[in-house]
Amino acid sequence: MAPTEHTHETLLALDGVDLGHGSQVVLPGLSLRLARGERIALLGPSGAGKSTLLAALRARLGATAAWCPQHHGLVPGLAVYHNVYMGRLAERSALANLWNLVRPLRGPWREVTELCELLGLEGLMRRPVGQLSGGQRQRTAIARALYQGREVFLGDEPVASVDPHQALRLLGLIEERHATTVVALHQRELALSHFDRVWGLRDGRLAIDAPASALSLADLDALYPDAEATSSGTDRHDAEPAAPSPEALPCSRGRA
Amino acid sequence: MSEATLPRRPAWLAGRATGPRLARHTLTLVALAVLLLPLADLSVVTRDPWTELGRMLQGLAWPDFAGVESPFRALGLTVSVALWGTLAGVVLGFPLALVFTRSRLVRAGCAFVRAIHELFWALLFLQVFGLSALTALAALAIPYAGIFAKVFAEILEQTPRAPADALPPGVGRLSRFLYAELPLAWTQLAAYTRYRFECGLRASVLLGFVGLPTLGFQLETAFREGRYPEAGALLWCFYLLIATLPWWSHRRLVPLLIIGGAFLLGPWPAVDGGLLWRFVSQDLWPAPLLAGDWAGLVEWFASIPDLGPAIGNTLLLALLGTVGALLVAMALWPLASRHFGNPASRLAGRGLLILLRSTPELMLAFVFLLLLGPSLLPAWLALALHNGALIAFLAARHADALEPGMPGLPASGRLAYELLPRIYPSLLALLYYRAEVILRETAILGMLGIATLGYYIDENFQYLMFDVAAFLLLVTAGLNIAVDSLSRRLRPREAPLEDPCLR
Amino acid sequence: MRWIAASAAAFALFAQGAAADTFRFTAIPDEDQSRLVERFSKVADYLEERLGVEVEYVPVKSYGAAVTAFRNDQVQLAWFGGLSGVQARRLVPGSRALAQGAEDAAFKTYFIAHESTGLEAGDELPDAVEDMSFTFGSRTSTSGRLMPDYYLRQRFSEAPDEIFSRVGFSGDHSRTIALVEAGTYQLGAVNYAVWDAAVEDGRVDTDQVQVIWSTPTYPDYQWTLRGDADERFGEGFSDEVRKALLEMKNPELLDSFPRSAFIPADNAMYAPIENVAEELGLLR
Repeated sequence: MAPTEHTHETLLALDGVDLGHGSQVVLPGLSLRLARGERIALLGPSGAGKSTLLAALRARLGATAAWCPQHHGLVPGLAVYHNVYMGRLAERSALANLWNLVRPLRGPWREVTELCELLGLEGLMRRPVGQLSGGQRQRTAIARALYQGREVFLGDEPVASVDPHQALRLLGLIEERHATTVVALHQRELALSHFDRVWGLRDGRLAIDAPASALSLADLDALYPDAEATSSGTDRHDAEPAAPSPEALPCSRGRA
Repeated sequence: MSEATLPRRPAWLAGRATGPRLARHTLTLVALAVLLLPLADLSVVTRDPWTELGRMLQGLAWPDFAGVESPFRALGLTVSVALWGTLAGVVLGFPLALVFTRSRLVRAGCAFVRAIHELFWALLFLQVFGLSALTALAALAIPYAGIFAKVFAEILEQTPRAPADALPPGVGRLSRFLYAELPLAWTQLAAYTRYRFECGLRASVLLGFVGLPTLGFQLETAFREGRYPEAGALLWCFYLLIATLPWWSHRRLVPLLIIGGAFLLGPWPAVDGGLLWRFVSQDLWPAPLLAGDWAGLVEWFASIPDLGPAIGNTLLLALLGTVGALLVAMALWPLASRHFGNPASRLAGRGLLILLRSTPELMLAFVFLLLLGPSLLPAWLALALHNGALIAFLAARHADALEPGMPGLPASGRLAYELLPRIYPSLLALLYYRAEVILRETAILGMLGIATLGYYIDENFQYLMFDVAAFLLLVTAGLNIAVDSLSRRLRPREAPLEDPCLR
Repeated sequence: MRWIAASAAAFALFAQGAAADTFRFTAIPDEDQSRLVERFSKVADYLEERLGVEVEYVPVKSYGAAVTAFRNDQVQLAWFGGLSGVQARRLVPGSRALAQGAEDAAFKTYFIAHESTGLEAGDELPDAVEDMSFTFGSRTSTSGRLMPDYYLRQRFSEAPDEIFSRVGFSGDHSRTIALVEAGTYQLGAVNYAVWDAAVEDGRVDTDQVQVIWSTPTYPDYQWTLRGDADERFGEGFSDEVRKALLEMKNPELLDSFPRSAFIPADNAMYAPIENVAEELGLLR
């Protein structure tokens, strides 16, 4: 692993900014700095504001960042090829894009084929994404982000639904092609072993902002309230579950 | 009703959760219908209906296929008109759907064209295009464009936003639509178009009633003149057509049907611009208005049938029909669902639903007219059974797509705990959509001597008084729009419409 | 995507215009409208032979549609009922009634009653019919609506919906008979020719339903030709058509209407119908 290089120029800095959606502030008064060439793992319990932070970074970095969203954001009805192609949808005219739906354009097809081979998606390029397994979809989403060919990679849990070995391989691929990466993760070990720096969010603030080498697993555990509760065994907030009132019973509806 | 008198609501009716709210909602609806029931004329006069009914049954049991004049052409034309009418509706409606939410004008226009029954559109176009395929296509395509615009807009609005958000910045509007919106809505759009096509088939048969040479042309004559074996043969043809729809309307066959159908539709009339202009500029307007004769206009208004009772009858029949359809649907849907009964009972259930939803209301009404005598009752039963069967069919299909979370429950438990709670909200939502249709359909039951608005419209078309007919059509459309917006306001918010065909 | 292109091609294929100058006619018989095209194509063949122009039969469903087709020049000749003929001739100035059926000079309507009413045949409608239920035939039928309505008003000086407890429109003569026979309506007004044919064929149970009164006679069905026919098909064409109609002797052709023969008619014969229709507000 390359050592941390804090001397690199600043790509983006936040100084006491309120982040959130609409009028609802999720991360008040946030300050941080993202340097060029830095590989950052973003940790925190669900709902801590990881996606909010990534969205803010994405909005500020604009066209320099490739984006791999949570839950992939793929179009199930379209083939793998078209989903990957969408990474560069803005580069061609609407007419060319339309024609590409009818018949794949030669250049993009070749480029996407190369990417798919790297990601183990060869042979699936014409298959609708709706028919893929979870891991295959994950790789398609990463392929789409890689296809964008940007300097920075922003990923919201891009390796959540693959096994640990594949996660390593995919992170390797991402790093190979992007100088700077910010990746939201759940795997704490991966964060320490594979990234330069860790941002840890808890209760709406940046609880950890330190080089990975300076952190231990126990430090990261502190981000997760449930881990705390189970380790200490005391001070549990929620008492035993009371019988819900009939009004609170949800009425199941719609398709299963 | 019981809500008001009881000091406390029973537990299952109390609270703000979806279940009790829908139950309260339903009970209020039923109570309203019961409350208004005394206003309806429901006398039963029966003397000797059995000879005639016996003849009908005999006709249905021993249909006379040889008596039908060129049945294949009639069948083919029925399908072609439905197919091309639906296609034209999509072509007109899709662009409108894209601006639907943004343009009040488009929304109002669509509500207006939707509000007028296909048969009345046909009667209007008949005056200009004569008895031609153009009349039939326009009569289907125009109201369908309004329906497609609304439903497509709703479907497109409900597509997930995530794929569009994932796009890199700077993607054009059209590209975004083509890649991240249209493909997501495609399945639903196609499913809805397919469903509308089945509606189109029924409407296409109905168009025969005003003289277009579809199945309905001979069906109506044969039935009216009591040639039941011939009517039976035509009905069987139509039942089979609907029952086998899933097979012959396969995706790969549709292009063939479209091209084949095109040849059946001709020859096309030469559209006479003069006729069109005369109809639009003169026939549709009261003569005194065109002449600027204000006293004459007052007189013209006085000659219009009394609108109060007509509107009252129309609304009453529509309300009773809607509540009746709800009861019928609740009783019938389990018969056709894969969760209940055995293969034989399901086959019978599906057959019954096809029978009820494919037999034109007018014929159902006539059977009940014989059985029960002339009153609102036959019309009510006909509307309730026809529409109830249609809702039951869609509800059963919805239920069939569900997988019970707890297999092995007894049938009653499956119904009460697994299926009904999931189906009922959309069933109710569908009922509210259907109320608009039922209101339109009260129009074509004038034969029973129930003076609804449609009764007078039909009358004025027959007397060639197009100005009065046009005026009454405007009133009907206004009433439809009002009821539609009211039902949208009253419709329980919980009702999700995941299945676009429930519209 | 591909099939959209294919359908566009198909659309272009069948966008051919209508045929040139064909003489078209329509006819709705007052009973048995089965196999219309087959039966009336024979009439078309006969006329084609006699007139020397191409003749086509256009099937229609209702008198309203027939009048519209006539007005819009989609047909040039039509076998109309009394009222629809008057409507058509008003809308197309210059058009004329050419011939009527031998039976149509003195047409009449029967009032029929279900056995349970206990009404007997008589010289006038008994007072007892008041507050019974009653059905007309089709709304634009001369014999099923117009004339019975007129005679009811003459007899009771009231509109039918004031005389009777309930007034329906069965839509067809055969159906009027069926409804009264079933007792659904107690009384009905029916075209006499349809009634006689039904009784003769044993299609009606005369123990259940019988005639209680017959209206005075009035003129009914007639052939009407557009005024511009001579202009389009040659001088003297109208007279040719009339001659061909009057000389139609083949019973197979005449049975389609069904009439025993055609006799001359003119517009003036239908003045009584026109007056009645105006009085009832069906014409203006």
